[in-house]
Amino acid sequence: MLRALVATVAASLAGGVFAQPGPCMPERGATRAQGGGYTVHFVASPSPVVDRHFTLNFTVCAADRTASPEEILVDARMPSHGHGMNYRPTITNLGNGRYRAEGLMFHMSGQWELAFVVKEAGATRKIIHVLVLK
Amino acid sequence: MSLAQRCLVAVALLAWLPPAAAALIHFTDKERAAILQHGPWPPALASDRSNRVSGNREAARLGRQLFFDARLSTDGRQSCASCHIPERAWTDGRAMAAGHDDIRRNTMSVTNARFNRWFGWSGASDSLWAASLRPLMDAREMGAAERHVVQLLRSQPDLVRSYEKAFGRAMPRDDEALTADLGKALAAFQETLVSGPTPFDKFRDALARGDARLMARYPMPAQRGLKLFVGKGQCNVCHFGPNFSNGEFDKVGIPVRNAGGDFDWGRYDGVKAVRASRFNRLSRHSDDRAGATSTRHVALDVEAYGAFKVPGLRNVALTSPYMHNGSLATLHDVVRHYSEITAEKLHIAAAHPHPEPGEPLPSRPAESPLRTLSLSPQEIEDLVSFLHTLTEVPRRPALAK
Repeated sequence: MLRALVATVAASLAGGVFAQPGPCMPERGATRAQGGGYTVHFVASPSPVVDRHFTLNFTVCAADRTASPEEILVDARMPSHGHGMNYRPTITNLGNGRYRAEGLMFHMSGQWELAFVVKEAGATRKIIHVLVLK
Repeated sequence: MSLAQRCLVAVALLAWLPPAAAALIHFTDKERAAILQHGPWPPALASDRSNRVSGNREAARLGRQLFFDARLSTDGRQSCASCHIPERAWTDGRAMAAGHDDIRRNTMSVTNARFNRWFGWSGASDSLWAASLRPLMDAREMGAAERHVVQLLRSQPDLVRSYEKAFGRAMPRDDEALTADLGKALAAFQETLVSGPTPFDKFRDALARGDARLMARYPMPAQRGLKLFVGKGQCNVCHFGPNFSNGEFDKVGIPVRNAGGDFDWGRYDGVKAVRASRFNRLSRHSDDRAGATSTRHVALDVEAYGAFKVPGLRNVALTSPYMHNGSLATLHDVVRHYSEITAEKLHIAAAHPHPEPGEPLPSRPAESPLRTLSLSPQEIEDLVSFLHTLTEVPRRPALAK
């Protein structure tokens, strides 16, 4: 289980953003990650380097268009070190399946697992993207 | 060309050429990339946007005057410079600091403090100006009440004049705002304390230029130590970048139980302190609240129990003793500590009850990237040799005297 998870977007999602998913149009140059019936496209700004905050703009698209996530979380961990980030990103729902996560920072070089967590109908889906910082 | 001239040319050539014994060990591409990340030095000197007088020379002059002014303490006997002694690389040479009362932490040097994100062993401050106020107000250190400080500032005509020159306005009537400005002036002075180039920097810059001849002048033990630092030791995972610190916190197997029997939870309490501070970057005293990204997003969780600041390593040979509690006397001791570190030593987060009811307990062993290195005596010597090459060529900071 992921620990120390981030800010939640709950109430705003209940309004039906995911009940009627958006066009799922990723930004140009977005990185794609898939898992658990969801596809996430994300763009980091600035590109992640050690010791610097960055922002993620991302879209979350369900393969099953009837899915209605209740919560979106973003977290990152270094599996080989057994620790996560020292910062909690705040997540803003931009509507139409688009989100922004601010305040992330990778504070060490090495392999990180960036996790997008989608909670819906009592289930948790993780979409993991692995990246290595030098 | 006369004989004298030929002699001079010969001497110059000899000085330029590496000594006969000089050589260059092999560094892999990965190691070279890691070495280059430790420079160039100094990095760009960005001003602190949360401090309106950052980079202001008049404020630095005022800050320097106040840094050495013992009248700021309640008993008139302690100044900032009582612990941050210029001749001792801006620290005090003691295991643990001596203020009005016993302090359980080692005094950190303020050299290169401007490059930090968090300040102090637990990161209890999020700016250099807030960090300058913390010991001033701490009853165990300088013990100054806010009222005492502002009365001193307002009662001294020379300080009033200097303040107006630095801040471009009269002293505010708001005591808390004036106190914040005191911290900002102290910070403006400390920003000037940037260490100079080191033998390592010459090596690193020569590497960047591909100048193998100059690289070969770097002492062989230091080369071997550097290779360990970025290789087998993985010291650069935490001691990262030009200042040899990633600016964050880690658990490195130093006990959190103090000699007095109480606990020092390090970063966990530091996060709570910075959030509660009247002078943090999100407060009304900050000149850049929008830019307070780290303060706004800093996490408070059990991983912070027993974690302490990763200190920068420039001038580290001048700042003994070491670690947050000054428990390791020499660099040899420090390297041996990391060489012999074990999971048991790192398991500092035993189920001790936290003093504040309701706080989550550190109930599981801390995981860590640190592993037992089992360095040979030669490897320990080499790493220490490398650390000594992070000492700047002696010089006097422009505003130190």
